[in-house]
Amino acid sequence: MQLSNRVKRILIVDDDIDLLEQNKVLLESKGVEVITAETAEEGIEKFNEYQPDAAIIDLIMEEHDSGFVLCHRLKKTEKGKNIPVFILTSATYETGFKFSATTAEEQKWIKCDGLINKPVVIEDLVSKINKYYDVIN
Amino acid sequence: MDNDYPKILIVEDEKGIRLGTEKLLLRHKYFVDTAENGKEGIEKALENNFDIALIDLKMPDIDGLDVLKTIKTEKPNTVCFIVTAYASYETAIEATRLGAFNYILKPFTPEDLIHQIEKGWKQRKLLLEAEELRKEREKNLLAIAHEKSRLNTIIESISSGVLLINTECKVVYFNRACLQKLQLTKIEIEDYILDKLPTDIKNFVDKIFAEKQLDKSYTTEVEILPNNELIIDATCSPVPHPDGSFAGVVIVLKNITGLKKIEQLKSQFVSMVAHELKTPMAAVLGYLDILIDTKMQIPFEKRIEYLSRSELRLKGALELVNDLLDISRMELNTKMREIADVSLKDLVINAAEVQDLEISKKGITLEINIPDDLPMLRIDMEEGKKIVNNLVSNAVKYNKIDGKIFISAATRNNHIEFIVEDTGIGMRESDKKKLFQQFFRAKNKYTRSISGTGLGLSIVKSLVEANHGNIYVDSEFEKGTKFTILFPYK
Repeated sequence: MQLSNRVKRILIVDDDIDLLEQNKVLLESKGVEVITAETAEEGIEKFNEYQPDAAIIDLIMEEHDSGFVLCHRLKKTEKGKNIPVFILTSATYETGFKFSATTAEEQKWIKCDGLINKPVVIEDLVSKINKYYDVIN
Repeated sequence: MDNDYPKILIVEDEKGIRLGTEKLLLRHKYFVDTAENGKEGIEKALENNFDIALIDLKMPDIDGLDVLKTIKTEKPNTVCFIVTAYASYETAIEATRLGAFNYILKPFTPEDLIHQIEKGWKQRKLLLEAEELRKEREKNLLAIAHEKSRLNTIIESISSGVLLINTECKVVYFNRACLQKLQLTKIEIEDYILDKLPTDIKNFVDKIFAEKQLDKSYTTEVEILPNNELIIDATCSPVPHPDGSFAGVVIVLKNITGLKKIEQLKSQFVSMVAHELKTPMAAVLGYLDILIDTKMQIPFEKRIEYLSRSELRLKGALELVNDLLDISRMELNTKMREIADVSLKDLVINAAEVQDLEISKKGITLEINIPDDLPMLRIDMEEGKKIVNNLVSNAVKYNKIDGKIFISAATRNNHIEFIVEDTGIGMRESDKKKLFQQFFRAKNKYTRSISGTGLGLSIVKSLVEANHGNIYVDSEFEKGTKFTILFPYK
């Protein structure tokens, strides 16, 4: 599946440098520029600097909720409001700590456009990003 | 034999009658003693244990009725006869009221007297038997009372709550522990208790009442206080009457809060282990997927890089598995601890050799200051090695390029003080508190590139404590960390 031509640049934030590298390579193979950040702080800096067209953020980094917090901050920016921001997680499998971002109530708290399960299936990710832009059109 | 022939006391002031009676009774092989007045009569009667007393009614010093009264009060089982020539209806009634067995009229024939005495002797035996029985019964009652109080004490003392209710759901018995287990301020005998019980317990009690099956118990766990502050295990069992019919329900309440916490910690631990093992596996699998995919045009150098990263992650996973095995061995106590004289200096030199390559790679200066006459440690050699290796490897791993490590030991009071200090990345106050927790790893820009299981220091702490030592940490973020261990020595 081809990535929507509205997406030129994607930001990935993950504290696992190997997963970061892998997702970068996979997305690059879809012909998109990938910006990486290893911490939430670096994530916000790169976001402001590169103004990406999509962001994928790992949930558990320095803290258990680093991903949520970063999402919240991105979604407050003018750019953030208009691009898909996904949270990357495997929490639902490991800790019995279950959540989703589908109901209105959840979306009030979790400011993201969807969850992406680890390990990332690149086709699913592409289809989710495309869907976001399809809906906007 | 005392039992076959009664001991008789004759209280009589008239010498002729006294001697005559004595002679007659002696002829019948009775044991006889005599008293010639009331005072002597009382004295002898109280001193000895006579079966029968023959008391003259009229005596110059003390009246026969008074003698009778005293003897009957003090020796109620002595059978007393009043002997008199002055029979009157009133004295007869009075004598009987005071406990006389019978009235013997003077003059009497020998047959009359013997006949009366035989009857008195039978009475005496009955009285003694009754006394015996009474004593026996008292003894039994005492034993029962004793048994009951012992049972009470036992049930009061056990830490489990015991609550017994009858078929009307009223409390028949309970111990104090019930109050705490059910968080009630008061339970009273005869209380209708059902509504005060947690729903789960109430349901089981209802079920037992409905089924009336004497061999069916039910157990349930109940959270009495929220947030798992008090969890009890309640077992409800039917109680039979002695005839086997259904009498009620006994509820035994055990506090399992601690047990539940351990269970929870265990499953938390398992899920953390799963997470820690899954992470490197996912990383390696991710690289393999990319390397296998022929459509991905990965340059040669990148391929090598991915393979080295995979190797590194797998090594980390292996390290984790080894640490887990150490923990499991420690917890199962499968290893016999062999306490021996161990040279701390040797341990340190050994640990430094293991780290030699890393030390020179990072350009670290290592300074060891351990006196040769330092007393030997009394610890397990293998565990000592693990403790020292771990601390030295941490001091290298978390050090900066061209950093320093100071290792020293000295005796202090009754302890050997062992210090490993580095000029590394240090840690924040908040991280210091969690440092010895399993799977804790400080997360910051420095630690990200350093591999670790998060188990090393928790293992070190356990090992130090297993060898009766204590470990302390002192640290300043970005400045360095200092570990101090105090080992006792003789």
